[in-house]
Amino acid sequence: MTLRVDTIQAGYGDRSIVGGISFEIAPGQIMALFGHNGAGKSTTLRALLGLIPISEGSIWLDGQRIDGLSVSDRIERGLRLLPEGRGVFPDLTIEENLAVVAAANRNAGASGITPAEIYDLFPILVEKRRALAGGMSGGQQQMLAFGLALLGSPRCVLLEEPSVGLQPDLVEQLFAHFRQICTERQISAILIEHKITSALKIVDDVLILNNGRPVFHESCDVTRNTDIWKYF
Amino acid sequence: MLLLQLLVDGAVSGCAVGVVAITFAYVYATTGVFHVAHAGLFTLGGYIAWWLSGQGLPFPLALMGAVAVGAAVGAVMQKAIYETLMKRRASPLVQLIASLGLLAILQNLVALLFTPNMLQFEAVSWRLSMLDIGPIHLSLPQIWTLASSLAILAGLVLFSTRTILGKRIRAVSSNRALAEITRLRPFDVYVVVVAIASGLVAVPSVFIGVDQAMQPYTSVLVLLTAVIAVIAGGIGSLPGAFIISVVLAVLQNLVLALMPGRWSIAFTFMLFIVFILIKPTGLFQTRLKRAS
Repeated sequence: MTLRVDTIQAGYGDRSIVGGISFEIAPGQIMALFGHNGAGKSTTLRALLGLIPISEGSIWLDGQRIDGLSVSDRIERGLRLLPEGRGVFPDLTIEENLAVVAAANRNAGASGITPAEIYDLFPILVEKRRALAGGMSGGQQQMLAFGLALLGSPRCVLLEEPSVGLQPDLVEQLFAHFRQICTERQISAILIEHKITSALKIVDDVLILNNGRPVFHESCDVTRNTDIWKYF
Repeated sequence: MLLLQLLVDGAVSGCAVGVVAITFAYVYATTGVFHVAHAGLFTLGGYIAWWLSGQGLPFPLALMGAVAVGAAVGAVMQKAIYETLMKRRASPLVQLIASLGLLAILQNLVALLFTPNMLQFEAVSWRLSMLDIGPIHLSLPQIWTLASSLAILAGLVLFSTRTILGKRIRAVSSNRALAEITRLRPFDVYVVVVAIASGLVAVPSVFIGVDQAMQPYTSVLVLLTAVIAVIAGGIGSLPGAFIISVVLAVLQNLVLALMPGRWSIAFTFMLFIVFILIKPTGLFQTRLKRAS
């Protein structure tokens, strides 16, 4: 599914944080969203999902304008967010986490991603399925969070710092898994990530924000041959 | 023998307080609203059943009617008042004040529609039937209070751990922000939770009303004991809140054997203060820290 963002501006209250942001992500493609702290990366994701309103511009998912829709309706259309560090229900078991989210995101007739497929993807979750999510290690929680964001029929997944708290080898492994799922299922994605090198291994495009404005937007290959640090 | 009777009577009223405590805790843990108007719903339940049975309705139907009205009033409260305040990002203090307002409205409405004086369930013939188990006297309404309260506790625990709706409610209370972006619709869940709590709290209200008598303004004391039990038991543990309710009520009753009745509330609070000082997280706190 194609996500198209056309010169959006968003912020909190009267204060605009980001502006002039435009991009398009084709099905199966991943775009990295880089920038210094406070550059407006998270604000951009929040605006896409409808957690904060946009004051200008438009957002389109596969040809349909979605910026007027509620958060719930956008999720129903396949938009998903993996929030930074808060992606699981700590007081529920792994099994319950997956069951609850799967039940709420089951689309009639659609061949969605089931808890069984999440277990296939992350076998460690099967072993611990009766353990409370809040008692697991950071890495295991992050796997579950990935799982929750993928359940149902995701069309475009927004990832906010998915590597926080993870060992480096686990990050690469998780990213490789994710790249594979996106390609196989034609899911588009936006990745906010401070581990630039790891991110560049799986993304197709790179967009860099500086003080809420886009300053660099190129393919991954061009990015690798560019000194991108001057844009931060 | 007096001690044993006091103990049993205390345990029975403790079970009723226990239902108030777990339903209050259910609302508080999920919505975050310190729902003192719950006491008003407790009052309302008894009076609705009294009115329905006075209209010639059989008691079981009158009880069901009270549960249904309670659930409906609770749902409207959540949808119309609390949800509006939440969407305007009102602080917990503002929500508490709104809840106090709702409590005053409910109590005065009951006093206005019925009477501010004592009421008895004249239409319920079995209210004075007694049962003797060895040296202990129990009234039939007491036995119903005991049985229904335990059934509600077991039912609510099973509901929240075994059904998908129960798990969804726990998910919303566990991580509200994530619930919103995984389409668990927190605001709809809140309405369901307050409706369930408000319907269930009518049950002990009706049986206590049948057993003793009703007055519009006495429920605040019941809620106060229940809230102490919730805090002492650890917010989030339904059996914990229930057990502490029973213990508190038993102690309140046993104190009667040692000192004048007016000291029993003071005793409850003293116990509460001791608790807050020694174990402020509650006895049965099992909640894990949020993922950081």
